[in-house]
Amino acid sequence: MTIDLSLPAMLSMYGLMVVPLLILFYLQLGVVRDTLLALVRMTVQLLLVGLYLKYIFIFNNPLVSMLWLAVMMVVANMSVLHKAGLKRRLFFWRSMAGVAGSTLFASAWFILVSIRPEPLYDARYLVPITGMILGNCLRSNVLSLERFYSGIRKNENEFMTYLMLGASMREAVRPYLRDAIKAAINPSIATMATMGIVSLPGMMTGQILGGAMPMAAIKYQIGIMICIFTAMVVGSLVNLLLSLAVAFDDHQRLRPEVFRDLP
Amino acid sequence: MPNRYTPHPMIEYDSITVRMHRQTLFEGATLTIGEGEKVVVRGASGSGKSSLLKCAVGAIPLAAGSVRVAGMLLSAATVAGIRARIAFIGQEPVLGAERVGDALLLPFTFKAHRHNRPGDERVRELLAQLHLPPDILEQSCARISGGEKQRIAIIRALLLNKTIFLADEVTSALDPASRSAVMEKLFSPGITLLSVSHDPEWINGCDRIVEIEDKQLKDGPADPSIAEREPATLTRKEDA
Repeated sequence: MTIDLSLPAMLSMYGLMVVPLLILFYLQLGVVRDTLLALVRMTVQLLLVGLYLKYIFIFNNPLVSMLWLAVMMVVANMSVLHKAGLKRRLFFWRSMAGVAGSTLFASAWFILVSIRPEPLYDARYLVPITGMILGNCLRSNVLSLERFYSGIRKNENEFMTYLMLGASMREAVRPYLRDAIKAAINPSIATMATMGIVSLPGMMTGQILGGAMPMAAIKYQIGIMICIFTAMVVGSLVNLLLSLAVAFDDHQRLRPEVFRDLP
Repeated sequence: MPNRYTPHPMIEYDSITVRMHRQTLFEGATLTIGEGEKVVVRGASGSGKSSLLKCAVGAIPLAAGSVRVAGMLLSAATVAGIRARIAFIGQEPVLGAERVGDALLLPFTFKAHRHNRPGDERVRELLAQLHLPPDILEQSCARISGGEKQRIAIIRALLLNKTIFLADEVTSALDPASRSAVMEKLFSPGITLLSVSHDPEWINGCDRIVEIEDKQLKDGPADPSIAEREPATLTRKEDA
């Protein structure tokens, strides 16, 4: 079992924050307040999550677990659209289908096909694995949506040229779709390629700290990376394809009102 | 509106109102261009010359009015068919590929044209007619000049057998010989041409000049040789 951190130990960790804060203050970056706020938010959010998870694991009820995952997905989806600069009310349900569908598909594969815990809905597996996949999908969905729509917005003439040259809607968006998916998954490819050499992945490290055998932890890490990557690719593609119907008008023009910075 | 010029209207703007960025460019403007007619649009900077061309292919929405191209009312159902008929050549045409050869054949990678891929002979013939060397096909699109890009875009449209050309300052980057070659192609009888140009030779070659004035489209001088004079003081040749 991991050595629990006592209150003085935690205080010493917060004490370490003085070092970066002093540097940030000295450099006058104007982010000291934001950093402190982020630190407080992180602490409160994680404390709440710790509390939730404790009871979710005690209940070990599939409905309670799914409810918790649904809340996480809604928040993740809102965050994706906000960070991608798109209007939530236009994209919410479509994006939700992409985010939730891809996350559930990958986590179901990992849990139901590979791990097969007893019971299958064991919250100790369901919640952390789905949460990890969801967290990583969030980043890739933001990147793909942002890159796709800003790409077409900046290159409206180019997009129109494709249509004028006889491209169907699918054919005309393909170059932007390719760019967007590439942007979304490139960081993950780089991470996978250097994993274990320049960084020790979080899940594996956590399991080792928790007392697991390194080889068992590594197998889980490989599994979760494959699931994350699958969910990223599937989620980004589904999300983009589903968004097309609301983002373009019936003359294949990108509707200006899809962007949050436009009325 | 009855057509005064030819019995076969090819592009018809009927009482169009166009607003962009909270500015009204056209308010109930009407213009009809007949088949094979060569028209140049003039107007102050920002008056909506390029926007007028873009309206015809549904790239800019109309606040009111309608556009017909080759008899088809521009709508969600017809927009693809209309775009298939029209070539739009801008000042900085988008070639959409790394290599010039690939850019020329880009439309033939789309499902709609996949079976009509032109032969090398046809491509080389058009390159020669527009004063472009055959080895330009191997060059990078990023490295060729604006004038070369314009001519490649024109060749691409000709390969697609387009007969309606919307040309926005296409001779702006051309030397006299290339300009003559482009004009010879676009001023041929089978082509309907709606253009924006400040080039006197181009304007002189057109059948009609249309002025953008007070958010309306008004016929300018009919005689191209007097194109550079104040249009408001002139009457059309047919009217005189």
